[in-house]
Formats: sequence, structure tokens, C-alpha cells
Amino acid sequence: METATLIVLLVIVLALFFDFTNGFHDTANAMATPIATGALKPKVAVLLAAILNLVGAFLSTEVSKTISHGIIREDQISPPDFLPIIFAGLIGAITWNMLTWLLGLPSSSSHALFGGLIGATLVGASIAAIDFGMVMSRVVLPALIAPFTAGVIAFCATRLAYAVTRRYDSKPDGRSGFRWGQIFTSSLVALAHGTNDAQKTMGVITLALVMAGWQDSAHADPQLWVIFACAITIALGTYMGGWRIIRTLGKGLTDVKPAQGFSAETATASTILASSAFGFALSTTQVASGSVIGSGLGRRGSTVRWGTVGRIAIGWVLTLPAAGAVGAVAALLVVWFGGWGIAVDAVLAVAVILGLYLRSRRNEVNAGNAMSEVADSGMAVKVKRNPPPTRRQRAILREEQRQAALERRRARRENGGGKR
Amino acid sequence: MTIDWVAFVEVFAAALVAAVVVVGSYAVGLRMLVRAGRVPVVTPAEFTDAITVISEKEARRAAKAAAKAAKKNPLTPAQRQVALWAAYACFTICALAVLAGILLIVLK
Repeated sequence: METATLIVLLVIVLALFFDFTNGFHDTANAMATPIATGALKPKVAVLLAAILNLVGAFLSTEVSKTISHGIIREDQISPPDFLPIIFAGLIGAITWNMLTWLLGLPSSSSHALFGGLIGATLVGASIAAIDFGMVMSRVVLPALIAPFTAGVIAFCATRLAYAVTRRYDSKPDGRSGFRWGQIFTSSLVALAHGTNDAQKTMGVITLALVMAGWQDSAHADPQLWVIFACAITIALGTYMGGWRIIRTLGKGLTDVKPAQGFSAETATASTILASSAFGFALSTTQVASGSVIGSGLGRRGSTVRWGTVGRIAIGWVLTLPAAGAVGAVAALLVVWFGGWGIAVDAVLAVAVILGLYLRSRRNEVNAGNAMSEVADSGMAVKVKRNPPPTRRQRAILREEQRQAALERRRARRENGGGKR
Repeated sequence: MTIDWVAFVEVFAAALVAAVVVVGSYAVGLRMLVRAGRVPVVTPAEFTDAITVISEKEARRAAKAAAKAAKKNPLTPAQRQVALWAAYACFTICALAVLAGILLIVLK
């Protein structure tokens, strides 16, 4: 019993640490575009993101239910085996999250968590313990569809924003007013991040509590202290993580206009919030990246840099199996060595965290070690400095040329008449 | 394995409608502000390295152009007032749409 208590405590600590890294990793999702367009001062942006992540964590628990009562079939695994599996899964998720952060690879914290849990369950229990229908409908398909959906919505929203505010008389169009709007839309993205990402850790902790017999399995809702702990941790992570990203943004989001940023953030927030309501556990990084690409394409004369898109997509595709592999190895250690395996896993987890800390101390903030997936997405679209004219602008131009030609002809005729 | 495809369509439709309402109403609001002769010129909160979209010089030039455009507004004072109220109405719709979306999630 004492060992079980210890493992539950370890799982809670590790889950909260994952929550911290999630916030740390994802500050850029909400605040990359408003900082890039100058809508918010970097310090204010990060503080706002942290507060709204905290608030968002209290708004919905649908995603938490998906994690705690959906992906893994608890009835297929005996409780004593289950806790080490969650532990191993979390180690897989954290290790992959940290590794990608260190190497500057595009990745998703959420998929690292799912991958880790699934990999550990496959090795530690059996294939029957995974509800593949649920994994497919709540994790894999949303992961494939959501970035595309967000991109399409951002594309339409950007087109709409530009079409409504376009002026044909070269007078000021007031588009810089979108900077005001960005303060609200980026806040909404931070709120949405809280509703989706903080829930994932709540789900994991609830799962551990249910398996330890500390919570009734009939009640899928996370306990109040779990909600508070996860909300505070993700907010803290968001606040701490933001500083490293800010200075690297300039290298990625080089040309985001306020109207474009506003549209991208609205698309991101609406996609995540709608998905949270349905209990789809999305990757906010992927949704934000899809929106940035979509809104970039919504600007006239833009083209896609397919190489960059491919690199981002490979990172996304790799995350689930790679985190799954790390989770599986961690679970294998538990299967082989029992209690000693858990100890080895714990030591490895501490080593990874310590390694990251030392590495971050040695290396100051730069583009290589900061997580700039969303910023990378900005590079996926090439926007011309002078975009081609719209159909109406071409018509106006033709009309002006026609008028000028008429004027010249009239002037020539008058000059000719004068000479005679 | 049963996959609820309708849920995906619902998420897409809800997100698209929400985004179009928010972006559309905000953009129309800005357009109305311009019509009312109050062209918003919002300079970046801080000119960090990340900002390449506008320089301080360009921001000053934009403010001058806005002031000039406001002086040459062809609308009568009454029409300008109507445009201003329309702008405020659009911004209110935008804010209400956001609030409604959040409420729907909280109440679900």
C-alpha cells in the first residue's frame, strides 16, 4: 500500500511537471502574433497568457474526461500494474517534450502525452487495454483535421478582414486598429489553451486517483484540488516559459500584419474552444501553426514554402510514435525490473530534467533552443512586399490609364489646333 | 470502431461561423470608424526586433495621413455620427459573440 501511495505521489508530481512544461512550451501559441505585430508589450503578453491559462483551466472538463475515461480501458488492467504504466507514459511524454525543446524540433506536448501513455500501456499491459476507437476519434483524427480546419478558417477570416477594410482611393484604411482587437483575440487563445491543455494533466491525475482507489470511478470529473493544482502549474509554466521565446520571435514571424494576426488568433481560439466543448484533445501548437499558415495564404500574392511545411509536418507525425517509443521503453523497465524499474525510470526522468536545466543555463536564448513552432509556421508562407492588385484595383488602374490617354490625345489635338 | 464524423463537421461549422462573425463584425466596425472620420492609428506597444511591419517613422506618417483624411471627410456631421454608432454596434456584436461562445462552453 505504501508503494502504491508513493507511486501515486510520483505520478502527480510528474504530471504537474508535465503541465508546467506544457505551459512553458506553448506560451508562443497565444502570444507569438500579438508580440510580432506590436499589439502587446512582451512582458504584458506573457503575464496575460499566464492569467488566462489559469482562468481557462476552470472553464471546461470535457477534455479531462476524454483522458481519464476514454483512451485506456481501466477494466483491462489490474490497479497495481496501472500506476507504473501511467508513470512510464509520463516519463515518455516529458522526455520527448524536453528533447524536442532542446533540439528546437517542432512537436506537440499533447501528442507527446498521448504517445507516452499509449506506448507504455501497449508494453505494460496489452493491446486490448487501448480503446483504439476512442484514440482514433478523439486524438488521431482531430490531430490530422484540426490544423487543416484552423488553416481554412484563418484563410477565410483573413480574406474577409482585408476585403472589408480595403480602400481603393489610397486613403488610410484603419487596419492598424486590428492591433486593439489582437489584445482580445490573443487573450482568447490563451483562455482556449487553458481549457484544452490543462485538462490533459487533470485527466492523467484523475486516472491515477481512480486506479489507486482514491476516487470513485463512476465520477469522471477531476477533483477541485486537481483543477487548482493543474491551473496554477500551467499558468506558472506559461509565465516562466515565455521569456525564452520572445527574443526569438523576430526570426520567425517576420511579416505578420495586424489584420492577419487578428484573423489567425480568432481561427485558433474558435477551433480550440469548439473542440474543447466536444472533448477533442487537440494540440494547440498544431492549431496555432495551421492558423498562421492559413492567414498567411489569405494575403494577396502569398505562396507556400513547401519545404518548411514538410519539416513541420514531419515533426508532428513523429511526435506520437516517438513519445510512444520512449513510454514503451520506460514501461519495459517496469515490466522487467518491477519496483527497481520504477526507480530507474524516476532517475532517468530526473536526469533528463536536470540535463535540460544545465543546457538552458549554458546556452542563452537563441533560435536553436527556443520553441518556435508557431514562428516557424510564419516562415512557411512567403508574402510579397508589393502584392498584385485585386480585380477592382486593376479595373481602376485601367480606367485611369484610359483617362490619361484621352487627356493626352485631347492635349495633342489642342496643341495641333493652336499651331495651325 | 465508430467515429462520430458529425461531431467534426459541427466543430468546423461552429468555429467557422464564430470566426467569421468576430472578424467580420470587427472589420466592419473599423470600416465604420474610418467612415466616421476617426481613422484608428494604433502604433505598436513596443518596437522590438520582432516587429518589421511598421517603423516609428511610418507610424508617424500614418497618423498624419489619418488626421488629413479626417479633415477631408465628405460626410455631414449627422452621417458621421451614424457611422460612429454603427462602428460601436459592430464592436459590441463582436464582444457578444465572444462572450456567447465562452458561455456555451461553460454551460455545456
